[in-house]
Amino acid sequence: MSIQQPIPEATPATTVVVRTARNRSGIFGGRPMWLIWPSIVLLVVIIGIPLLIAIYISFLNLDQYTLRSWISAPWVGLSNYITALTAGNVIGASALTSLGVSLAFSLLTTLFITPIGILAALTVNTTYGGRTLVRSLYLIPYVIPTFVTALVWRQMFLNGTGLVDRFLAAIHVANINTYWLLGPNSFWAMVIADTWASWAFIYIMVLAGLQSISHEVYEAADIDGANAWQKLTRVVLPQLRHILGLALLLSTLYHFNNFTLPFVMFGTPPPLQADVLPLNIYVSSFQLFNFGLGAAMSVITLIIMLIPGFVYLRALRLGEVTAS
Amino acid sequence: MKGNIRYVSYWLSLLLLLSLVLAACGGAGSTSSQGQTLHVLIGYNSTYPAQQKQWMQQIAGEFQKATGSSIAWDTFSSSSEEQTKLQTSVVSGSGPDVFSFGTTFVPTAQATKGFTTLTDQDWQLVGGKDRFFKQQLTMAGSSPNQLISVPWVMRPFAMVYNKELFQKAGLTAPPTTWTEFVQDAQKMTNPSAGVYGTEIDPSDSFDPWKIWWMFAGQLGGSFISQDLKTAQMNTPEAVQAARFWFDWATTYKIVNPNSMAWKAGDATQAFANGKVGMLIMTTPTLKPTLQKSSVADKYAFAPMPTIPYGMQQRPANGVPDATIVSGDMLAVADYSNVKNLAFKFINLVTDEQHQIQWTKTFGDLPVNVQAANSLASQDPQTAAFIKAEAGASPTPFTGVWGPLEVALAGVSSKLANEVATNRYDPSHIKPLLDQANQQIQGQLH
Repeated sequence: MSIQQPIPEATPATTVVVRTARNRSGIFGGRPMWLIWPSIVLLVVIIGIPLLIAIYISFLNLDQYTLRSWISAPWVGLSNYITALTAGNVIGASALTSLGVSLAFSLLTTLFITPIGILAALTVNTTYGGRTLVRSLYLIPYVIPTFVTALVWRQMFLNGTGLVDRFLAAIHVANINTYWLLGPNSFWAMVIADTWASWAFIYIMVLAGLQSISHEVYEAADIDGANAWQKLTRVVLPQLRHILGLALLLSTLYHFNNFTLPFVMFGTPPPLQADVLPLNIYVSSFQLFNFGLGAAMSVITLIIMLIPGFVYLRALRLGEVTAS
Repeated sequence: MKGNIRYVSYWLSLLLLLSLVLAACGGAGSTSSQGQTLHVLIGYNSTYPAQQKQWMQQIAGEFQKATGSSIAWDTFSSSSEEQTKLQTSVVSGSGPDVFSFGTTFVPTAQATKGFTTLTDQDWQLVGGKDRFFKQQLTMAGSSPNQLISVPWVMRPFAMVYNKELFQKAGLTAPPTTWTEFVQDAQKMTNPSAGVYGTEIDPSDSFDPWKIWWMFAGQLGGSFISQDLKTAQMNTPEAVQAARFWFDWATTYKIVNPNSMAWKAGDATQAFANGKVGMLIMTTPTLKPTLQKSSVADKYAFAPMPTIPYGMQQRPANGVPDATIVSGDMLAVADYSNVKNLAFKFINLVTDEQHQIQWTKTFGDLPVNVQAANSLASQDPQTAAFIKAEAGASPTPFTGVWGPLEVALAGVSSKLANEVATNRYDPSHIKPLLDQANQQIQGQLH
C-alpha cells in the first residue's frame, strides 16, 4: 500500500470538513450505532436462533426416541400442523379449543381489569393525605409472584373447605360444595385470580398517562361547564388513548401467554375449560414427548399473537413523524 | 483506509462478542486442581431437607477421601423439572454425570439413548449384580444384558389404614380382597362427620395409572402387549379398572364427594386429619408426615388387596401385584467423561452401611440385599414391605411408558370433571380410553 500524494498538512480544516461530510452522509447520521451490536447479538442468540430451531422442529417427528440426534429426526412436513388443528387430545382440549380458551381468557381478563385500573388511577391522581400509602397498597397484588398468587387462590377455590365456597354459602348464593377447580367454573376461577393479580398493571399505565394531562385542560373543561363524567369521557380518556391502547395490547398478550397461573392452580392435566394454549403446549411437548406437535402449536400461537401487535402498530403509525 | 479499519473493527468486535457469548453458553466440565468433579442430579427431599443437606455433605466428604474428586450436587423438586433437565441434557450433550429417576421412567430414559449401558466391568465397579435386590434389576434396563441403571432405593406401595376408625366400625383386620375393601369402607363412612372409608385423587398427575394398572393386572390385563408393540389401554380389563375406581364415588359412595379435584397431597392431608379410613398407593416414606399429624401412632400399613371386586379368586391370568417395582435408580450419562468416578459414586451409596443409614434417615427401603435382610430381621413392618417388593410386578419396558402415564392421567381428569359436574356415565370411559390408546399406539415403534 502506498500513498503517493503529498499529505495536505497545511490545510487541516479541509481534512476536517471532508471527514464530517463523510459522516453526515452515513445512514445513521454519525451516531455510534455500533453500540447496539451487543443487543443484536444477544437477540439473535437468545431469541432468533431458538425461534428458527422451533420452526424447524415443527416440521419433524421429534419424540423421546429421536431427541438425542434431533437434527436428523424424520421430516413430516405439515403433519404436525394438521394434527394440532384437527385432532382431539386425550390430555386436554384440542389445540383449536385451547386457542379459544386462551383468547376468551385474555380478552375477558383485560376487559375486567381496564375499568378497575382506570378507576384506581383516578382515585390517586389528586393529592390527599395518605395517597402514597394507597398507591403502595394498590401495587401489592401485582408484585406478589404469580405462583404464590396461584397457590393461594387454589386453596381458596377448593370446594367444601375453601374461603370462596364458605363465603358464598354463608351469603346463600351457592352450595358450599361447588366445584371451582373442575368443570365450567374453573375458567372463571382462573379469570378471577388473574384479574385480582393484574389490574395494577393498567393502573400504573393509566396513572403515568394521567400525569401528562396538564391542568389547563381540566380548567378549560370546568369553564365549559363539564361535569365529572363528561370530563372523564370527553377529556381524560381521549388523552389517554395511546397509552391505554398500549396497556390493553400488552395486557392481552401477557394473559394469553400466562402459563404459571393455570399450571400452579390446576396442575397437569388441567380441566378442559381451563386448558389454555401454553399449558397444552407444555403437556404435549414435555410430558407426552411430542416436541414436533408442541413446536407446531407454538408457531401457530406466535402467528396469532403477531396479528394484534401488527394491527396496533399500524393504528399508531409508529415510526412515522406525527404532529403532536 | 480509515473506513477499512472501522469496517474491520466492527466485525472484529462482533466476532469477539459472539465468541464470548458462545463460550459462556458452553458446557462446564470443570476440573479442580486436585481431581475432577462429578455432577450428580437427585430429587429434593421436602420431608427432610436438613438431613438431605447433611447427607450430601457427608457423602461428598467420603467421596473426596476415597477418590480425591469432589461432587457437585443438583436437585429437582418435581418430576416435571427432572424430565426437563433430562431432555435438555440429552439434546445439548452436557449436564449431570449421574441422574436419579424413578423405576417407571427408566424405559423412557433408555429410549433417548442418552445413558451408558453397563458392561460386566462396570457392574464390578458398582459392587456386583448380586449385591442388588433381584426385583429392582428387572426395571434397570430393557433386557438383562442391556441394563442402563443401577438400583438405589426401594419404595414399595402399600395401603395405610386408621386403626381407630377400624375399631369404631368393628373391623379387626385390613381387607385382602377388593370386595372386603368396599364393605369395610362402607362401614367406616359417616358423611355427617365428614369421615369416609377411603379416598380417591383423580386429579393427580401420577396416581391414576398406578391404581388402574394394579386393578387391570389383577384382572389379567396389561396396558401394553408382551411384545411391546401394541397398546392395550382400552381392553375390558382396563375399562373395568377405571370404572371400579370411579364407582367408589358414584356407586358405593365411600369417598368424599369433593375429592374430584384432589391430588395425592390432598388425599394424604385428609387421612392425616383422621377423615379417611384407608389410604391406598402410599409408601413407608409417609411415616414422618403421619407422625406429626393427628393420627400419630393410630395407623398401620398393610399390602393392598389382590383379588378383584366381586370375585372369589383372580382370573387365570390375573397377577397378584400389590405393588409395581418401585423406587429410584441411578444412571450414568453417555456424554460423561468421568464415568469411572460415577460408578465409584454409585458403589459408595449402595453399600450396606450407607443403605442402612439412608433407610434410618429417610425411610426408603434399601436395595442392598444384605442391608435389607439385616433390617427385616429387626422390624416386622420392614420385613412385610420387603416381602411385598419381592412380589412386585415390573411395568412394561417401553419408551412410551412416560407418555402413557400422562395419557391415563388425562382420562382420569376428564372423568373427574364429569363426576364433578354430574355428567358422568360409565359408558364414557371406553371412548376416552380408545382415544388414549390411539395416541400412545401412534408413539409405539
